[in-house]
Amino acid sequence: MNRFALTVSAGIARVTESALGPYQSAVVRIGFSATWLLFLLREFPHRQEMYGPHAPWSWGLAQQLISDNGAFTALMWSDGRVWFELVYALAALTSVLLLLGWHTRAMSVLFMVGVLSLQNRSVFMGDGGDNVLHLMSVYLVFTRCGRVWSLDARRARLASEALARGEQRVVDRVGPALWSVLGFALVAVTAGSRFDGADPTVPVILWLVWVAQGVRWVVGRLARSAEPRILLDVVANVVHNGALFVIMTEACLIYATAGWYKIQGSRWQDGTAVYYPLHLDYFSPWPALADLLSSSGTMVMLVTYGTVMVQVAFPFTLFNRRVKNVLLAVMMTEHAVIAVVLGLPFFSLAMIATDAVFLPTTFLHRLGGWAARARARVFARTGRTSLPGPRAAENPEPGSDSVSPAPTRT
Amino acid sequence: MNAHDTGWEGAGTDRPADPQPSRPEAPAPDLPDLAAPYPEPRTGVAALSLRYRIGAALAIAVVGVVVCVHVGMVFLHVAPANTVTKQHGKAIDDWIYPEFEQNWKLFAPNPLQQNIAVQVRAEVRTGDGSVETTGWYDLSAEDGRAIDGNLLPSHTQQNELRRAFDFFVSTHDNDNRPSGLRGSLSETYLRRIVVLRLDRDHAAGKRGSISQVQVRARTTNVPPPKWSGEKISDQPVYRVLPWWPVTAADTDGGAE
Repeated sequence: MNRFALTVSAGIARVTESALGPYQSAVVRIGFSATWLLFLLREFPHRQEMYGPHAPWSWGLAQQLISDNGAFTALMWSDGRVWFELVYALAALTSVLLLLGWHTRAMSVLFMVGVLSLQNRSVFMGDGGDNVLHLMSVYLVFTRCGRVWSLDARRARLASEALARGEQRVVDRVGPALWSVLGFALVAVTAGSRFDGADPTVPVILWLVWVAQGVRWVVGRLARSAEPRILLDVVANVVHNGALFVIMTEACLIYATAGWYKIQGSRWQDGTAVYYPLHLDYFSPWPALADLLSSSGTMVMLVTYGTVMVQVAFPFTLFNRRVKNVLLAVMMTEHAVIAVVLGLPFFSLAMIATDAVFLPTTFLHRLGGWAARARARVFARTGRTSLPGPRAAENPEPGSDSVSPAPTRT
Repeated sequence: MNAHDTGWEGAGTDRPADPQPSRPEAPAPDLPDLAAPYPEPRTGVAALSLRYRIGAALAIAVVGVVVCVHVGMVFLHVAPANTVTKQHGKAIDDWIYPEFEQNWKLFAPNPLQQNIAVQVRAEVRTGDGSVETTGWYDLSAEDGRAIDGNLLPSHTQQNELRRAFDFFVSTHDNDNRPSGLRGSLSETYLRRIVVLRLDRDHAAGKRGSISQVQVRARTTNVPPPKWSGEKISDQPVYRVLPWWPVTAADTDGGAE
């Protein structure tokens, strides 16, 4: 019993003291914001046909469906062309800013608003990739995903360095301004009864985050003792860790569902399943390549069985780091192949971004080092002052690393 | 919504066991009695007095419950119909829809083994007042050609028509009678897509206009792999929908 109590208290200390998996949550943030940004850029020429007021799935049709299911979309607030263009542009802009980690929490909320607004406007336009992006955009709001590899992290570092040199503390003016503007918008939208009759999920999230950020600011400014501030930090950590757990579970459920349902299929049993998608007109951009890949029956069977085994096995391999990493590499490779062979680039990107939550911290450190060196080289080539090496990988997180301590870096 | 995220999101400023001694933002001065035994002031519940610990415990409890309920609901949503989903289906749907809906039966239990080509023809009122019926336009074949050799197929090529027809099939019976609101929505949607596509193909000619459209689906089995020895019919099966009159509301379609 005593040991049990110790384990529980150690667990509580762990989930309250820090936001676990800072690099994993950062890479998920970067992965999904990049996926959405590239998707919006790709579909820019088709945006009217997909989400515009006069799209085949017209504003009026969407209105009828949404008044039935209550999904959240800002595009239903007006059927004007200007409003549509504005929402599309804001969705793209906020995905850039979330990618860079500029006022990450606010941008993650706006990112979610952008994703849901466009996707819920035309639900019949999406596929599995859109679905996973939809879910993750909601979950990301609850994570502290900008603690590393972000402009926020850079700003915090510069501020603490300046303070260490004895300079005066820089006051953040953008944050409060952003909070005020978004609060004004939220009040206007709520007072304008735009949320009436809608599902409460998204409005509740918007109000919760806005109030929490306000409380955070007030406490930071006015509280006389440090305790309220630490309590808020604890709450933020617990929420982050909960959200990260949900993201990981969601990934496991995706693979488990995909795998276990396949086991029951006759084509997955007789080893020919992989042949068929390769020969569907909608999923065969490279017919010659598909023919080549399916020329050997044995190969097709190995890939068919392998796919099911990996998908079913993956959730269980999380208990063994080494096996998990091998399977992770296999799945990411398979998704990269699917991107090209089945012509599903954005679905594959979204799945790879999901997988990335399970990447080992050592690997992410190395990745950060490479990125920083590449950046330094690019800056050196363009003639600007070269930045010191692996800046991106600073602030290794003690206690959050599920794999191993600090990596070897230059 | 991010009024003060310097400390909130800032990397490393609130680390519990940060080995560096310089922690200018640390709350040490405010916390002499609590922080004294440690080289670094502690964060997490350890740094809190009882009153605040109750607050932290409450937060843990709320987050724990929400996370467990959410994960459980998503599990039941993706699981096959079972005892629990039969008893609590309403509660599960209320939690999941509309924002957490998901379907991961990717190519499962069996991958689609048929190519479904959506084709359309139109009755066109030509410039000189006569009425003509066009030939069949294979819109899915057009999609297929747009996808061929394309590293980045658009959703308008890969999903729009394909999923619109799926939507139509799932909301209509075998005699093409619609069921409920979704049935009639899917009809309008499909009609607007084919009108837009016919317009792009200049089906009505220069001065003509489309007065009616008819959609049919040609379903062909994917030929079984050479090595399998399986024999299935390679004859297409047609599902022909009734003629639909085209109104002005159907022709304001999409792409400017």
